[in-house]
Amino acid sequence: MKGFTRYFFQKLFWYLLAFFLALFLNFFLPRLIPGDPISVIVSKMMSGTVASETQERVYQSFMEEFGLDKPLPIQFFNYIGNVFRGDLGTTFSLYPLSVNEVLGNAIVWTIFLQFPAIIVGWILGNLLGAAAAYRKGVFDKTIFPVALFVNSIPYYALAIILLYVFGVFLGWFPIGGGYSRTLLPSWSWAFVIDVLHHYFLPFISIVLVTIGGQAIGMREMSIYELNTDYVTYSKMLGIKDKKIQSYVFKNAVLPQITGLAISLGTMVGGALITEIVFGYPGVGTWLFNGIRQLDYPMIQGSTLIIAMMVLIANFILDMVYGLIDPRIKAAQTEEG
Amino acid sequence: MKKVFVVFLLLASLVMGSALFAQVTQIPREEAVYVAGFQWGPPTTDNPLAGSPMTFVSDPRQHIWIYETLFTWDALNGKYVPILGESYRWLDDLRLEVKVNPKAYFHDGEPVTADDVVYSYKLGQKYPLGLQIWEWLKDVYKVDNHTVIFEMKPDNPNRLMVEDAIGATFILPEHIWSKVEAENNYDLTKIRQFRNENPVGSGPYKVFYESPETIILKRVDNYWGNEALHGGKKPAAKYIVHPIFKSNDEGSLAFENGEVDVSQQFTPRIWEMWEKKGLPIGTWYDEIPYHMPATMPSLWFNVNKYPLSLPEVRKAIAYSVNYARISELAMSNYSPKVQASLILPYGGEAKYFDENLVKQYGWEYNPKEAVRILEEDLGATKGKDGIYVLPDGTRLGPFSVECPYGWTDWNASLQIVAQGARAVGIDIQTSFPDAPIAYDNRQTGNFDMTMWAPSQPGPAQPWLRFQIALYSKGVPEVGQIAYSNYGRYKNEWADQLIDMIPKVTDEKELKNLYTELDQIYREDIPMFPLMYRPQTFYEYNETYWTGWANAKNPYAPPMPLVGAGMEMLWHLEPAK
Repeated sequence: MKGFTRYFFQKLFWYLLAFFLALFLNFFLPRLIPGDPISVIVSKMMSGTVASETQERVYQSFMEEFGLDKPLPIQFFNYIGNVFRGDLGTTFSLYPLSVNEVLGNAIVWTIFLQFPAIIVGWILGNLLGAAAAYRKGVFDKTIFPVALFVNSIPYYALAIILLYVFGVFLGWFPIGGGYSRTLLPSWSWAFVIDVLHHYFLPFISIVLVTIGGQAIGMREMSIYELNTDYVTYSKMLGIKDKKIQSYVFKNAVLPQITGLAISLGTMVGGALITEIVFGYPGVGTWLFNGIRQLDYPMIQGSTLIIAMMVLIANFILDMVYGLIDPRIKAAQTEEG
Repeated sequence: MKKVFVVFLLLASLVMGSALFAQVTQIPREEAVYVAGFQWGPPTTDNPLAGSPMTFVSDPRQHIWIYETLFTWDALNGKYVPILGESYRWLDDLRLEVKVNPKAYFHDGEPVTADDVVYSYKLGQKYPLGLQIWEWLKDVYKVDNHTVIFEMKPDNPNRLMVEDAIGATFILPEHIWSKVEAENNYDLTKIRQFRNENPVGSGPYKVFYESPETIILKRVDNYWGNEALHGGKKPAAKYIVHPIFKSNDEGSLAFENGEVDVSQQFTPRIWEMWEKKGLPIGTWYDEIPYHMPATMPSLWFNVNKYPLSLPEVRKAIAYSVNYARISELAMSNYSPKVQASLILPYGGEAKYFDENLVKQYGWEYNPKEAVRILEEDLGATKGKDGIYVLPDGTRLGPFSVECPYGWTDWNASLQIVAQGARAVGIDIQTSFPDAPIAYDNRQTGNFDMTMWAPSQPGPAQPWLRFQIALYSKGVPEVGQIAYSNYGRYKNEWADQLIDMIPKVTDEKELKNLYTELDQIYREDIPMFPLMYRPQTFYEYNETYWTGWANAKNPYAPPMPLVGAGMEMLWHLEPAK
């Protein structure tokens, strides 16, 4: 087998293994939470009634419908079978909606929020980091500590502070949701502006954290590059500063691109806290609700999506590395 | 830069595209009544048979906007208000006759007949739906097009629960639902999954628009009841809008700002809205307790767990609770003084309430009496840590008391319970797990003490409350799921009395039986009420609509446009 093909299949094998492990955990972990989800559904339906057979019959009919009356291993294989058919099941807490429907809508909101925020944060962070490295002086002495500060505040705290200051205290922004509940979705300016109004705080919270992290990384890489021989040599040759800066930037930004790819891969999972704090209607909010409601199919569905996104992003990254960097490919194939 | 903008537009259109499938124009504010507090998650289905707790149209005791019931309960006078049913009467011990209003018809123009009524009730016989009536019913049949007979099983009749059921089941159009049944091969799991996106009922409104954020109903202009029940008047509001808020705070703010006209949310310190802020806001009473009591959130004991199995210990705890403090701090003064009885001293059941016995044998907040019971009746001695120890060396606690996390008024109540108990020398710790876990613990009997409200007002009260609190027949052992009598209390005499009452019609005898039951309850105290709560909270804002019912103008009970409170729709008028 040729080098790359072998590398490809080796990687694929490990990623598939990880995927099955994820499937396994997705299925069993929610079931370790104490409590009986069906008795919750039935007790909401039958609250305020007298003890009777009817309750037992209703309970049984839901157990059968969700397949929970079967032994765990059989439930597990049913689940795997359904996943491969692209069916994530019916939610318990939003019965009779399907998990596909709920998460299908939610993921659009998640990506709409995360993707632009990560990109904007990444671009600004790298520009600022590079600037800090070249300009040094006062510029560096302000950007660097600020970036370090923002980056070291726990994210949930930052989000809550933003929400409190700009949402609750100043009242400039709404305190939750994707758009106002009193407004009907339409292609009107009022609606678009309302969506953007709700969008701003969660967006800016992600941008801030991304800028912080990226700026620190970029600053360090740039300083390292600025001290390399080729920079000294270029300076001796009398090449213009601007030109040298562009060489340095190109070299320094390479590892940052890896970082970008990883954050895009972990985007859906990373959205969790943002969405919970700002009540944004994405995957994270549903995962959180699912856990609180013992909604097994919803928990399974959301964690599966998160796991898949991470695995796919890493797999693509590995492949790209394998293609562009022969050293990695060689090292990896020799080991195996 | 252009590219970035295009990408952004693309993403934006992706998000909004999904919401745009059902594009609607703006609803004119002056034509819509905004209600809040009935739904906290996205609408999932309009199928009344789905039985999901999240469906907007699924509770026939309240939401009779689209589908209607035969009757609806007015807790103000303890009587039924006729809707599709014109009248009802008992022909003999086993047969109840209901007359269906001959003027009634569905949205598609088809008449509502005895066949539709029989069909709707028989669905509960065919499938395991929530319909309990078939425990007691032998048959439901029609006599003529507008007369239906409910015939009970001779060996297990229950007059009260059958009367309860004629106000708790939607009458569905047979010509539509028999097709739904057939299309789904008479398979309940498939029928339950049917979304029923355009429900055809007989009620005054129909679904206009639904999204995870809002539900909008639109007036049915040729609603049959306008002529037959409301003297030819139409409701003034063309739309009913229910915004789905994520939290109580968000909803309360919207209500205060006039974005919501009537709400059933718990709104703390509501009097400040008119006393301090001068807003056009009102509740049922304009002074304490502001709301009309109807239910009894209670503390339940696991009566088989030593030493909580000793009635004296339970009574000492009941004496240690500062009920006034619960009302003031947890309930914003919305609960009047709680009495030591399972009979509510308000509304239709007040006639069975015996004040003298409550005074003589009941409990109230009295820490000294609690200490006296512990020391004299039980012979307990106080340990070094301030907690009493029984003569056999059993320490009174730590006991845990539980209710779902985030139910803020309940959480606060239990904290007050724990403080009061510790003050007299009983160690109680609060525990607030997520709702499914609290439900599970309560139902399987995995608790020391837990909090739960026995049941809603209706024609079967106070019998139903005694049944849920004391009745032991059919309640499984600890470890299995029970839907009533969570503490597994057992008393044969109480069981017999509870069996007896539904057959009795003589009011004097009924009063004796209830008094006897209430005495058993007070002696054994397997649970006790911590507060009284309204059936639904009711607060209205007159910025856009006036004509709301209240204690001074009690033409309908305090329910925000649901149940018998529906009547208000025909009395509301635009402000200005």
